[in-house]
Amino acid sequence: MARRVAIVSVGMDKFASRKVETVDEMVYRVAKNALDNAKLPREAIGAVVFGCAVDAFTATQAAEKVAIGGAGGRLRPTMRNCTSGSTAISTPILGYLHVASGLYDVVMCVCFEKMSECRPHAQHVFNTVYDEYFVRPIGLNVAIQCSLEARMYLRRYGNTELQMAKVSVKNHGNALDNPYAQLGKKLTVEDVMNSPCISWPVKLLDTSPTTDGARAVIFASEDVARDITDDPIWVKGIGRGGDSCWFTGRRNSDLARLDYAYYAAKQAYEMANIEDPSQEIDVAEVYDPFTYKEMQHVEALGLCPEGGAGRMIDEGISLREGKLPVNPSGGLLGEGNPIGAGMSRLCWAYLQIKGQAGGCQVPKDVNTAVCNGWGGMYQYNAVMVIGRD
Amino acid sequence: MENQSQPIKLQGSIEISYEWSAGVAGSRFFQEIRDNKRIMGTKCPKCGRVLVPPRIFCEECFVDVEEWVEVSSKGELVTFGESYLGTDGSKLKEPWIVGIIRLDGADGGLIHYIGEARPEELKIGMRMEAVFNEKRNGNILDIKHFRPSK
Ligand SMILES: [Zn+2]
Repeated sequence: MARRVAIVSVGMDKFASRKVETVDEMVYRVAKNALDNAKLPREAIGAVVFGCAVDAFTATQAAEKVAIGGAGGRLRPTMRNCTSGSTAISTPILGYLHVASGLYDVVMCVCFEKMSECRPHAQHVFNTVYDEYFVRPIGLNVAIQCSLEARMYLRRYGNTELQMAKVSVKNHGNALDNPYAQLGKKLTVEDVMNSPCISWPVKLLDTSPTTDGARAVIFASEDVARDITDDPIWVKGIGRGGDSCWFTGRRNSDLARLDYAYYAAKQAYEMANIEDPSQEIDVAEVYDPFTYKEMQHVEALGLCPEGGAGRMIDEGISLREGKLPVNPSGGLLGEGNPIGAGMSRLCWAYLQIKGQAGGCQVPKDVNTAVCNGWGGMYQYNAVMVIGRD
Repeated sequence: MENQSQPIKLQGSIEISYEWSAGVAGSRFFQEIRDNKRIMGTKCPKCGRVLVPPRIFCEECFVDVEEWVEVSSKGELVTFGESYLGTDGSKLKEPWIVGIIRLDGADGGLIHYIGEARPEELKIGMRMEAVFNEKRNGNILDIKHFRPSK
C-alpha cells in the first residue's frame, strides 16, 4: 500500500524571457528557496527528481546533468523525467512515487526550461520534435499544429474565438498580481481579437510567451511531514494518460476531444475520492499554453460539462472571484511558459491551499485543488489533485 | 560591488545530419507512392481497421498486421490550419495551409499541404484529392499536396 505523501514546500523565482542565469543557477535559486521555505538543510534531501521537456533548448544533451549540483543532488540518487509538456506534472508525480514507494522520506523535485538561447527563434527547436516520416518534411510549426486542433475543437463544441479571447484577458490580468510573472497585462477582448493572427483561430494574444524559468517542490512522507510543517498539503490523486503519436491514424484521431486527458483525470479523481470535480474542486491551475487549451482542459478535468468551457468563461465562473477559479495566478499565458517549469501550476495550487498566494489568492476557502500538464503530438496529460485532510 | 558585471554571451552552433530508416511499413508505403502513385494501408486481422499511415502492428489489438490494401488518394478534410508564419517562425506575406485528410477506404489519413485553394474556400468535411509530383523520391513529398476535388 502506498504511503501518504505531502507537499511541504515550493520554490519560486521570477520567469523572464531571457535570464542571465544558467540552468544550474536557475535550478539552485528555486531549490534553495524551497529548502529555505521549509527550513530544511540540503542534507535532508533523500533523492532528487528533475524534469525538463526539450534538451535542444539548452543544447546540452540531457540537460539534467548540469542541474544536479543546483538541485542539492550531490551524492544523491537522481532521476530525470520527460513527457514533453506534461513533464510539468508528470515530474512531481514521479517525485510523489519516490516517497509513496517507501524508499525516500524527502524528495526534491525540480523542473526547468531555458528557451531563450537558440537562435533566431524557439521555433527552430520545436521543428526538431516532429516525426521524421510524415510530419517534419511538411515543415509543420507550432502555430499550425495548434490551429489543426483548435479549429476542430471550436467546430465540434460551438465554442468561439471570442471565448478564447476572454480566457486571454482573464489570465494576462491575473498575472498582474503574480510577482513571478513575465507577462501580466491589462487587456480587453478587442486587444486579443485584433492581435496578429498566428494561425486561425489562434492569435498572438492567445499564445504564451517563450520563457526561462524553474520551479521546485519538496515532497515528504507522512512519517516526517509534520516535523517539517504544521500544515502539510497532501497529494490526493494522480493520473496520467498517453496516446499514440500516430495522430492521423490512431483510434481516436478526433483532436477536438482529449481522450488521454479525460483518462488521466478519471484516475486522479478516483484516487482522491472525488465524484463531481465541478463541486469538489475549489481552485484549478490548468495547462494553458494557448487559450483553447485551457478550455479543453477544464472540460477534460470535469470542471464544467464537456463543451461547456465557453459558457464557463462567459459566466465568469473561472474568474479569480468566480465560483471555480481557473489559473488565478495567470497560468502559462500570463506567468510565462517555460515548458517543464509549468510545474508552477502545482506550486500555485499549493500556495492557494496554504493561503499564501498573495494578490492571486482567491476570495474563498480552498481545501482541494487540481492541476495538469499537456504535451507531445496531441498525446500526453498528467493530473495531480492536492488538498488538506 | 560598484560595477555590476555585464552578462557575457558565448556563441556557437550544433549541426547534426541524419539518415533515417523509413521502417518496415514505411518503406513499402513510400515505394508504392514513388513507383505506382498508389497509397497503401495495412489491414488489422482482428479489428479490421485499415491503417494509414501503415503499421506492421495494430496498437489497439496488439497483433501483427501483414495484409496490404490499396486505399483511395481521395478523401475528406478532417481539419486544416493556415499560417502567416513559416516553418521557422518567420513572417510570410501569403499564408500556407496544412490539413489532415482521411482517405477513402482507410481508417486514418495523412497530414499534408493543402494547395490550389485559399483558406476561405476550405471547409472541414469537404472532398479532397492528392496531387502527385512528376519526379518522386520515395518520401511523403512525392505527394505535392491535396486539393479540393474537381
Ligand atoms: Zn486491430
